[in-house]
Amino acid sequence: MGIFLQFVVGGLFFGGMYTLIALGIVIIYKSTQVFNFAQGWMVTLGAFMLVTLVGKFGVVAGVIAGLAFGALLGLGIERLLMRPLIGQPLIAALLLTIMLAHVFEGINILAWGTFGYEMPVTLPGESIRLGEVVISHALLWGIGVALVAFAAFSFFYWRTLMGRVMRATAEDHQVAQSLGLPVRGVFSLSWVLAGMLSIIAGLFLGVVSGVHYLMYASLIGALAVVLLGGLDSIAGAIVGGMILGVLQALVRGYFSPALADVIPFIILLLILIIKPYGLFGLVRIERL
Amino acid sequence: MDRPAGVFDVRYEQDMAVVRTGPQWGVLIGFLILLAVLPLFAGSYFLGFMILTGIALIAVLGLNILTGYAGQISIGHQAFVAVGAYTTAVLMDSFHWNFWATVPLAGIAAAAVGVLFGLPSFRLKMLYLAMSTLAAQFIIIAFFNHAFPDYFHAVSGIRVNRPELAGIDFRNNEAFYYVVIVIAVLMTFFSKNLVRSRLGRAFVATRDNDLASEVIGINIARYKLYAFAIGCFYAGIAGALHATYYRSVNPMQFHLDASIWYLGCLIVGGMGTTVGAVFGVLFLRSIKELVVFVSPVLGGMVSPINAPKIGPALGIISWALVVILFLIFEPRGLAHTWDVLKSRFRHWPFKYAF
Repeated sequence: MGIFLQFVVGGLFFGGMYTLIALGIVIIYKSTQVFNFAQGWMVTLGAFMLVTLVGKFGVVAGVIAGLAFGALLGLGIERLLMRPLIGQPLIAALLLTIMLAHVFEGINILAWGTFGYEMPVTLPGESIRLGEVVISHALLWGIGVALVAFAAFSFFYWRTLMGRVMRATAEDHQVAQSLGLPVRGVFSLSWVLAGMLSIIAGLFLGVVSGVHYLMYASLIGALAVVLLGGLDSIAGAIVGGMILGVLQALVRGYFSPALADVIPFIILLLILIIKPYGLFGLVRIERL
Repeated sequence: MDRPAGVFDVRYEQDMAVVRTGPQWGVLIGFLILLAVLPLFAGSYFLGFMILTGIALIAVLGLNILTGYAGQISIGHQAFVAVGAYTTAVLMDSFHWNFWATVPLAGIAAAAVGVLFGLPSFRLKMLYLAMSTLAAQFIIIAFFNHAFPDYFHAVSGIRVNRPELAGIDFRNNEAFYYVVIVIAVLMTFFSKNLVRSRLGRAFVATRDNDLASEVIGINIARYKLYAFAIGCFYAGIAGALHATYYRSVNPMQFHLDASIWYLGCLIVGGMGTTVGAVFGVLFLRSIKELVVFVSPVLGGMVSPINAPKIGPALGIISWALVVILFLIFEPRGLAHTWDVLKSRFRHWPFKYAF
């Protein structure tokens, strides 16, 4: 039982990280209809940037600078790469983010090399002892941050004016534009938010498992999370993330790590065959 | 369509011909002769480049049929190449088959796996289908990595010998070059003709508007599976050659990056044109080779600690960046540039070209 709980908490942490990445993808998809394949690579880049910035400016200033970098990164991608693609088939944008992921990977190798780093941040608090299980506080921080991010985005989308604007834009770009909504501003804002989310995910992942240029490999599973939860569902991101994180941890613990690595993709294939729009996704009916 | 002034078609055969005019025949035959005599004066390094280009070309031609013509975007093409490579390698290593007998089987095995992973395309398209092929990439490679260690030898890799035929030994690159080039040329012509047939037109209709094409009587589910079967058959053939060229097969060779590199070739060349696939592969392969030459020079300029990073980093950034630039500035790819050039040449000295 104890070991089971240990696995579940570890899984919830990874689920939380999946949630943060999936939230970034969902936010961008909701408003711009672009699927950001590169989100996991942005997390890796963000984690490396945090290692450097925190090492230079200390924890608080470093993390704030890191968030600013994430915002600039998102803004830059939107302005320089995504905006010229408006009007082209959506698949072009997907292909562009796939290629962008590789550019990020190359930049990571060029700037930080192929060896691992440790995130020079210690999170406040101490490990919790539950019976014979010791739960690291870093894991709880990660889970908590994912929950807070979910709550914040839910509030933002459903209770604030800007959230309403973003939902309206997601519904129909042209109608939103003709109603005078700042469509381009919404696009930029979504990318900025996704950029900052990738920094946050990079911070906690870096603290728990270190920073390495191959970090993205364990994050590709987040793509499965997004489709499991539904491409345009914020609740889906957290539910899907937690389900997949826990499932992966249990399979890793009880069966084999090799199987755990492909679990996201098996789930992905199953969900695509059974319920392509995901658990909470909006089913779009196509007409001629 | 666009042909030199004064060339008219008076028979249907002329209208349907791929090679239309005398000069075109001349250029084509000249090019084939050039390919044939290349080993006589090209160095071993350049032959290696040509062999790898030929293998990549076969794979990209398959992806072009699947993604460019039929519109079923695949992010897992290298996994189907892997299926072909493993079929050849296992049949030769564990069952002592003849290489030539394994080549068609490699194609058929890859086609079968492709159809299996193409089944979700009945319900899915675009992004969703792309994700299911991404899943195929990881599941297939994990399968080779962990299943049947007695046959797949994931840790040590499978050793593959180069073939022999009628007393000719294909172990050296000069001879193996002919194997690859002959297959590549044949498959290019097959691909060029396939997409002009009823099948190819059905693919294009499915790509451009699947609902409308279903309404006019195209069984799109069947044609999507045909596209997967043919596209993955190409991948399987490429895999068989890949295995014999490298003389060993291990799961590390079939990384996601290669699948995406194939997609990049397609974008740079221009999706949905056979000539585009050729241009795209040549262009990105040349960039790869250029990086091999340039990175030691750049490495010499920076500190010795940073020098080893330059090669791998540039190797990724260079082609990905080129593809991004093409997506933004020339989404129709080099095939379109080529058309514009031809049109300019024909209309010279007049300005109007398309």
